[in-house]
Amino acid sequence: MSPKLTWKVLRKDLALGPRSPIFLWAIVLPFALTLILQFTFGSLFNPEPRLGIVDGGDSEITAQVEDMKGISLTLLDDAEELKSNVEANDLDAGLILPAGFDQAVKDGERPELQFYISGESYASNRIILSVTAIDLVRGLEGSKAPVTVDVVSYGTAGLPISVRLTPVIVFYALVMAGIFVTGSNLVEEKEQGTFMAMLVTPARIGDILAAKWMLGTLLASVLAAATLVLNQALGSNWLQVFVVVAVAAGLSSMIGLLMGTFAKDSTIMFGLVKGLGIFLFAPTLFYIFPQWPQWIAKLFPLYWILEPIWRVSILGGSISEVWVELVVAVGITVALVPVIGLVARRVQAQMASAG
Amino acid sequence: MTAPAIQVESISFNYGDIQAVKNVTFDVQPGEILGFLGPNGAGKSTTIKMLTGQMAPKSGVARILGKDITADDPEIQAQIGVCFEEKNLYLNMSGLENLDFFASLFGIKDADSMEVLRRVGLADRAKDRVHSYSKGMRQRMMISRAFINKPTVLFLDEPTDGLDPVTSAAIRKTIKEEAERGAAVLLTTHDMFEADELSDRVAFINEGEIVALDTAENLKLKYGKRSVKVRLRDGDGVREEHIELEGDGSSARLAELAASPDLMTIHTEEATLEAIFIELTGRGLEG
Ligand SMILES: Nc1ncnc2c1ncn2[C@@H]1O[C@H](COP(=O)(O)OP(=O)(O)OP(=O)(O)O)[C@@H](O)[C@H]1O
Ligand SMILES: [Mg+2]
Repeated sequence: MSPKLTWKVLRKDLALGPRSPIFLWAIVLPFALTLILQFTFGSLFNPEPRLGIVDGGDSEITAQVEDMKGISLTLLDDAEELKSNVEANDLDAGLILPAGFDQAVKDGERPELQFYISGESYASNRIILSVTAIDLVRGLEGSKAPVTVDVVSYGTAGLPISVRLTPVIVFYALVMAGIFVTGSNLVEEKEQGTFMAMLVTPARIGDILAAKWMLGTLLASVLAAATLVLNQALGSNWLQVFVVVAVAAGLSSMIGLLMGTFAKDSTIMFGLVKGLGIFLFAPTLFYIFPQWPQWIAKLFPLYWILEPIWRVSILGGSISEVWVELVVAVGITVALVPVIGLVARRVQAQMASAG
Repeated sequence: MTAPAIQVESISFNYGDIQAVKNVTFDVQPGEILGFLGPNGAGKSTTIKMLTGQMAPKSGVARILGKDITADDPEIQAQIGVCFEEKNLYLNMSGLENLDFFASLFGIKDADSMEVLRRVGLADRAKDRVHSYSKGMRQRMMISRAFINKPTVLFLDEPTDGLDPVTSAAIRKTIKEEAERGAAVLLTTHDMFEADELSDRVAFINEGEIVALDTAENLKLKYGKRSVKVRLRDGDGVREEHIELEGDGSSARLAELAASPDLMTIHTEEATLEAIFIELTGRGLEG
């Protein structure tokens, strides 16, 4: 194998990318999905923590929150209305300030403050709002905490749906760019006979397949990472996120390469993606429905790449939590290489007699 | 004599039950053009596919530049040029981009793709995408790609397929230039004129077997019957008579006609390769 020849094929494919509808579609899809999902469920258009206040009598706290940057404040008249807004996650948190609250704090009466938090709100927003609320109350009185804060969790406990859907979008980025682009690109070269044209030059089959794998890995990495950025799920350690994303892209592209090597034409390639689609998609369902028995997800190959992305990137955990998954993913990727080699030899004979 | 550039010893190939090539043996010297002449399905393309490393022969040995073709050696691949029977170009790339890409695979740094396109008459369309090319222009692209690495061994499967007569002639000229440069050329055709005009030697191939292999001249001498076509006035019309020169009493008949007051023209007729092909195989070159 020659890295030089691999690079030349890869360079050609990268240059041709923008001329290919499938390539462009693969790029657009995760962005479109992100917009649709975020528009329907999400936080993309409401990145600021949203606080609702029912103020029974001109509290200084309300005035101070109004002056604050970075918090979107909604004033409501009625406690019930506030609660239902919080429950629906239209607000991240709600605060009820009864009449005379300021005075009571100043008199040292330690009144009860009711603070409601939406079960679906981002943890970061909850923390910002809770701390802000306590700080403001503290500011009314003096230095020591003047109240007991009663935090009531409202709405379904757990992660917001927009977070639970992020694996779905990442999945589409990986499948479109890693599997579909890699596979179709290879099939197209076979169909138009250019694969054979390359094989009568010094380029060998391994050089070409390596280039296709890299193309898919590169594109899938970039798109998966872009999807995570768009969904504000790029974790805390960029280097670790980069590793889990690259492993995921590498395995996806290897699956695409296998399909593309096996499929004689684009009809068969489409058929394979369609037929295997649900098998590939299945593990994402377990993030949407956390109440399902989670071990079943491990039966599907893409679990081993989605779980590291989920834990390290979306939940911001450490890569050490998922090293088993990463090893399995790399293992599957490497194990597919000889399989592709076997299929490729059979396919080369097919191509020669077809062309 | 120098070592042959292409050396084929009794190679065979079968697609399942179909015996496409049977014990074919020949060689091609550097600078020589060997024309493979045969009807559809004779086994011409199958032979080229084996020699270019696309398929391995089921039996027999073939060497290109002294190396066994099954060795799959990039150094040998670097020295061959192939014009495929089926067009296989990047349609969404321009002619120039196609050539530059393949030149890069050959490791050619300063490829003069433009000059190669000029030789096949495509210089003015160099920057257009190939999908906007006509059928004949695409065929010329196929030929230019085979030339891009200045190959030592050139395989051309029906290179003038679908070209108009003027373009065909121009392309034949470029093929001759390649041979003059020193390339060994194996080309296939079912056009007897092309085989006759281009080839230093012609191989007749039929049903997977080479039935004759020699210079066109020798083939004609050996198998062809020379004849004379005489045109005579016949009342208000014209009458034609063919006289085979080898036949008994042909000269007497010819003398008699030459003396006739009705004589209009006498033409000698050379045996065509097709006539010889029919004589050897009992079938024509078409179909
Ligand atoms: N892919 C294939 N599968 C089965 N049989 C094939 C295949 N390709 C060619 N053949 C058979 O092999 C024989 C030789 O075919 P080949 O293509 O070598 O002929 P050819 O001389 O190039 O003909 P043409 O002038 O039509 O190009 C034919 O009988 C053909 O039917
Ligand atoms: Mg043919």
